[in-house]
Amino acid sequence: MKKFPLNSEVDFVVIGSGAGGGIMAKQLATAGFSVVVLEQGGWGKYGREHEYNKDEWIQLHLPEDQQLMSDPNRQRNTFRRNDREKAKPGNHTYGCVVGGGTVTYGGSSWRHLPYEFKEATTDPTIPSGTGMADWPITYEELEPYYVQAEWEMGISGRKIDSPFLAPMSKDYPVPPVPLKSSGALMMTAAQKLGLTCVPGPLAIITRPYMGRAACVNCGICSGYGCQVRARSSSAVTMLPLAVNTGRCEIRARSYVREITTDGAGRCTGVIYFDAEKKEVRQRAKVVVLSANASESARLLLLSKSGRFPDGLANSSGLVGKYVMYGNGVTATGLFEHPLNEYKGVVSGAAIVDFVPSDPKRGHYGGGRMTARGYQTPFELGLNGLSPGTPHWGAAYKKALKEEANHRMTIQCYVTQMPLETNRVDLDPDVKDEWGLPAMRITSTSHPDDIKNMEFFRQKSIEVLQAAGATRVWAPPVGDTRGGAHNRGTCRMGNDPKTSVVDKYQKAHDVPNLFIVDGSVFVTGGRNHPTMTIQALAFRAADHLVQAAKKGAIKTSF
Amino acid sequence: MSEKSRRAFLISSATGLNAAWVAANLPEILAAQDQAQQAARTGHAKLSFFNEAQAAEIEAITAQIIPSDEDPGAREAHCVIFIDRALSGFDKSKQAVYTAGLEDLRKKVQELYPGAAKFSALTSEQQIKTLTAMERTPFFTVVRNHTVMGFLSRPSHGGNYNKVGWKLIAYDDSLNFKPPFGYYDAQYENEHKA
Ligand SMILES: Cc1cc2nc3c(=O)[nH]c(=O)nc-3n(C[C@H](O)[C@H](O)[C@H](O)COP(=O)(O)OP(=O)(O)OC[C@H]3O[C@@H](n4cnc5c(N)ncnc54)[C@H](O)[C@@H]3O)c2cc1C
Repeated sequence: MKKFPLNSEVDFVVIGSGAGGGIMAKQLATAGFSVVVLEQGGWGKYGREHEYNKDEWIQLHLPEDQQLMSDPNRQRNTFRRNDREKAKPGNHTYGCVVGGGTVTYGGSSWRHLPYEFKEATTDPTIPSGTGMADWPITYEELEPYYVQAEWEMGISGRKIDSPFLAPMSKDYPVPPVPLKSSGALMMTAAQKLGLTCVPGPLAIITRPYMGRAACVNCGICSGYGCQVRARSSSAVTMLPLAVNTGRCEIRARSYVREITTDGAGRCTGVIYFDAEKKEVRQRAKVVVLSANASESARLLLLSKSGRFPDGLANSSGLVGKYVMYGNGVTATGLFEHPLNEYKGVVSGAAIVDFVPSDPKRGHYGGGRMTARGYQTPFELGLNGLSPGTPHWGAAYKKALKEEANHRMTIQCYVTQMPLETNRVDLDPDVKDEWGLPAMRITSTSHPDDIKNMEFFRQKSIEVLQAAGATRVWAPPVGDTRGGAHNRGTCRMGNDPKTSVVDKYQKAHDVPNLFIVDGSVFVTGGRNHPTMTIQALAFRAADHLVQAAKKGAIKTSF
Repeated sequence: MSEKSRRAFLISSATGLNAAWVAANLPEILAAQDQAQQAARTGHAKLSFFNEAQAAEIEAITAQIIPSDEDPGAREAHCVIFIDRALSGFDKSKQAVYTAGLEDLRKKVQELYPGAAKFSALTSEQQIKTLTAMERTPFFTVVRNHTVMGFLSRPSHGGNYNKVGWKLIAYDDSLNFKPPFGYYDAQYENEHKA
């Protein structure tokens, strides 16, 4: 790997190596620019993925430099429902390793549907007083980049024409994962109920593709690194290609604490802590911020200066606002015969009829119902049995034996509207392990979001019953407290007063700062943000490369 | 465990038909159990945190958390060995919970059954009563979770001996599977072949 001298200036510094950052690094380096990627997490098993661990007991105790997720004891964060409350220590976590969230994610790769870019002006069910707004781009503008993302990352799936699915100009590069028993039960129920159940698109390859092996259905999947490199993470797709150009250096365990600017209001680079917590300065002509929706907003707020007293790129006062962490709804059923859900990917099939909002339901909202049942042995034994089951003793053991392999869960990924009061900012009291103000999350979902969750809860029960479950249970709906599906803290728009970045993801206030991650979402779609983050990244990179080559952005090209 | 209490324990922990079967087969069962105990004590790495007496108490607790019936339980899975290793390894920080917990257990036994020698010498029914009284303590929660994890983790960590835990939940650790995976996808594929 190319190593740049620490005191040299590079064309681009990319902060974060996840879904957005990985693509930016690869696109910029292959276009001929020099790139340094700074990632606060460790290397994981980058380049020797076969060493990834599938042992639950060990996974719970990974040493600090081998962890795949952030640690709320180090990357501290606080949470409160609203401004009247004092925030308490929170449990928000996200992928924190070279490759970011894509190293461990479930891989669901749904595109947004065309109307999801313009719901604010076309959906009559949206209540007043929310932050719903139209995106400054259309589905048609983004469609070629969805194709590019699907083919460059490696997404499995099947192109299906349906009003409930995004129209595709090209099929997926590899076929969908095999149906699991949960998927088969969902298919059967959907047929009975007249609903549409489809195989879901996944960032998990089912055939050898671009030098990587197909999924072996090991079953210890989301939350773990993939030993056979079938999960199409940034770490096995984009980042190696970036490094191979000889123009990209990745520095792991490098935690950026500030984006620096000059008197003219341009970025000059960053200051970061290395693994020994020593401060290092990295100069760059352009800064690409891809630290995920929560951390990118926090870093902008941390990067205060005389010229930017409220944080960088924040003349609108909107940095951190409209954050969406996303909500989930689940229902579980027991079945007579074994499903063996411990084999294969987390989820392979989904009912999509309720993706659009429908005035008949009496509230705004939609979502996807996904079939799954995967529980690791620990998850099953520690906490996974049906409600009312004793935690120990003969009855516990009986349930353990009878319920294992006989259950399926429907997990619904649903809308959450952006609200100005929901936000990420700096906690006034709590500091992280590096002494910087901790992230503070303030979040309460809109009442329509809660009604929508209740709708999906009832639907899930219906579907499980139609599938022939012998017993069904569904926990009461709850409201999010953070999580890796974060979106929307630096929304894109044409008006600098009401948005943070423009439609090419350039900060309105800073000509050489680009934000390329989940931050830029205007609305949340139906959760599962990553495919759209990736398509947007390819689009932003295209524009950035063209602008840089034309000299509109000063680089050494 | 004394011969008498083992007898009482075995019979009291069996119910219905099972009790009759246990009574009829007691000599064989006791012999088999002796072997299992020996395997637990001698066939495995030496204890590194517990002493023998402590291990016997903890093992008795684990055996109530996941009892042995027609399927092996925590005792046969050697959960106590898993816990002993955990406390000398990843979970060193929980040593104090165990040390204090064993002392609380001793007191609780004395309180409920004055004169009883130790928890592991109680009848199964008495053990269940004792643990029920301690169910909400941090000690019990930790032992419970350790027992479950010991039962279901890789055998290389000392528990799940002979994969008895995985067998109970019909978990196959091959980490490499081809469809059909389960009953319903096999059935679905069959029906939709045509
Ligand atoms: C277990 C799990 C399952 C998931 N399943 C799905 C799914 O099925 N479908 C889906 O769409 N999404 C899923 N997600 C979410 C998905 O991972 C995220 O949507 C996606 O990775 C976000 O991309 P991003 O570019 O915004 O940031 P990330 O991929 O999170 O990358 C940001 C990177 O920046 C680093 N970073 C942060 N701050 C700094 C700093 N100050 N200095 C240096 N580096 C920094 C982080 O450590 C991280 O590596 C899942 C996430 C997890 C954890």
